[in-house]
Amino acid sequence: MRVSAPAGTMLNIVRRSAPADTFYVQSLIRSQLRLAVSVALGFLLLLVGMAVLVVAWPQINNIRLATIPLPWWLLGVGVYPLIMLSAILFTKAAARNEAKYRSIAK
Amino acid sequence: MINPTVALLAVVLVCLATVLIAVNGLRLSRTTEDFYVASRTVKPWWNASAIGGEYLSAASFLGIAGLIVVSGQDALWFPIGYTAGYLMLLLFVAAPLRRSRAYTIPDFAQIRLGSMKLRRLTSFLVVVICWLYIVPQLHGASLTLGISTGLPGWIGSVLVMGIVCLTVLAGGMRSITFVQAFQYWLKLAALAIPVVFLLLHLELTGDSPTLDGAIFDTAADAAASKGLYYNISLIVALLFGTLGLPHVLVRFYTNPDGPSARKTTVIVLGLLALFYLFPTVLGILGRAYTSELATSGNADATVLLLPGRILGGSAGDALSAIIIGGAFAAFLSTSSGLVVSLAGTISQDLFHGTVRGFRISTLIATVVPLLLALGTSTFALAGAIGSVFAFTASTICPLLLLGIWWRGLTVAGAMSGMLAGAVGCGSALALAAILPNAPGSMHALVAQPAAWCVPLAFLVMITVSLATRHRAPGRIDAVMARLHVPEAR
Repeated sequence: MRVSAPAGTMLNIVRRSAPADTFYVQSLIRSQLRLAVSVALGFLLLLVGMAVLVVAWPQINNIRLATIPLPWWLLGVGVYPLIMLSAILFTKAAARNEAKYRSIAK
Repeated sequence: MINPTVALLAVVLVCLATVLIAVNGLRLSRTTEDFYVASRTVKPWWNASAIGGEYLSAASFLGIAGLIVVSGQDALWFPIGYTAGYLMLLLFVAAPLRRSRAYTIPDFAQIRLGSMKLRRLTSFLVVVICWLYIVPQLHGASLTLGISTGLPGWIGSVLVMGIVCLTVLAGGMRSITFVQAFQYWLKLAALAIPVVFLLLHLELTGDSPTLDGAIFDTAADAAASKGLYYNISLIVALLFGTLGLPHVLVRFYTNPDGPSARKTTVIVLGLLALFYLFPTVLGILGRAYTSELATSGNADATVLLLPGRILGGSAGDALSAIIIGGAFAAFLSTSSGLVVSLAGTISQDLFHGTVRGFRISTLIATVVPLLLALGTSTFALAGAIGSVFAFTASTICPLLLLGIWWRGLTVAGAMSGMLAGAVGCGSALALAAILPNAPGSMHALVAQPAAWCVPLAFLVMITVSLATRHRAPGRIDAVMARLHVPEAR
């Protein structure tokens, strides 16, 4: 069985559907990038903050919940809701950016 | 310590179930699109389960608990890195990559920059990364089979590669999607059920799962700690390495559109967060009940040995069998994902994307890493995977990030950046294997090179692109629009 190579067909699709409104596309890209970078930075700052807190203040290990030190709770459990929250906020905001683009470009 | 017959039964059952589901997928997959990307009709929940199933490898299933036993709190950064890597993937890559309509990373490179030379270099790197990633899976299989049944370990590696080859040959991507989705839930159950029973047992007998908190006080952790540089470098590798993993990216092409690619990623994050609770708990139990493994160099076996140590008897055997089955699901799903993307890449570049070519490539994709695995000895699983992440973070990741977000990227820039990252990271890892790890030496710099390798690759890629600005590809506007403009409703 012989079928056409998918990579070639992809290039044709790209050529065919070149839209004229480059300006709107560029502002869409910029707003999506700004959004992604700010969510990433916010999350990373919190992460670094936790790491520094544990290193700079070792006594935090004496605070215990059910015999387990607080840093274990923070790093083993607490980080994950934070990741989920960032992901959900980003997805909503990215969809909003795209809706805005649609209403302007169409 | 583990009943060999029961353990073998668990391995055989998981392998049989995998083959059965794959063969059922065979009836559904007929065209090339089915083979490569399941015709892009997979629903977010299925796809997310499949991604989870594929991503949670030997390093997650066995390695994290082992690492917690050895180095304590430091080890918690591993699962955080694995999960947060997916957050980065969601933020920077998921939707644009899906919209690029590329099948593989080399396809993306070609669509974005239109160069065959760049395509070939990318293909070469993808093949290297996949091989490096499969080898630790096979070491995991060899360790698990050796410890649980007493059989020679190489049988485990051969068994995993044989099953993977069979399932991929049978149905390509579509059947793999079902197999991997099934394997996520199998892996989750295989850790969750033992955790619940072990904790329940300790509760009933009045023993403390943490020896009343004594296990958190050990000074041994400080000696085992690899230092601040190593941990930061590891986090960089995990965060940015996930972006470039070929077997993870190929799954994104199976989403119907950009928004569903994002939705899939959010679900994956939830599935990963849920999963990583259990290796962490098992690691804590391991510190209390199998702490001697920390110094014996066999810490990766913690998860396998715990039920026998805490429960013993036939109940312990049953729980061990569940865990061993889950471990084999982990080796099978990650390896099959890697083999699919490897075979996809090889067959598009050597055999022009035919179904027959895909099948020949599958054979190539399984035999080479099998020989590599049989010829090398076992490393600590989590560490070996950390090196692969460092390599992808300094090669594929800059290509994807700059390719998606920066109009100024040129062919020369992309190629020199990836070469700089590959040579820098590759030679550092090779040096780390040769040089002795003397205390106070700069060994961490070469053992975990991501912290300087990734910036280096980005820097070279950007500088050379700026220097060759006049050679920027002409149809850049159309390509950028393709990546970022939302689908018509």
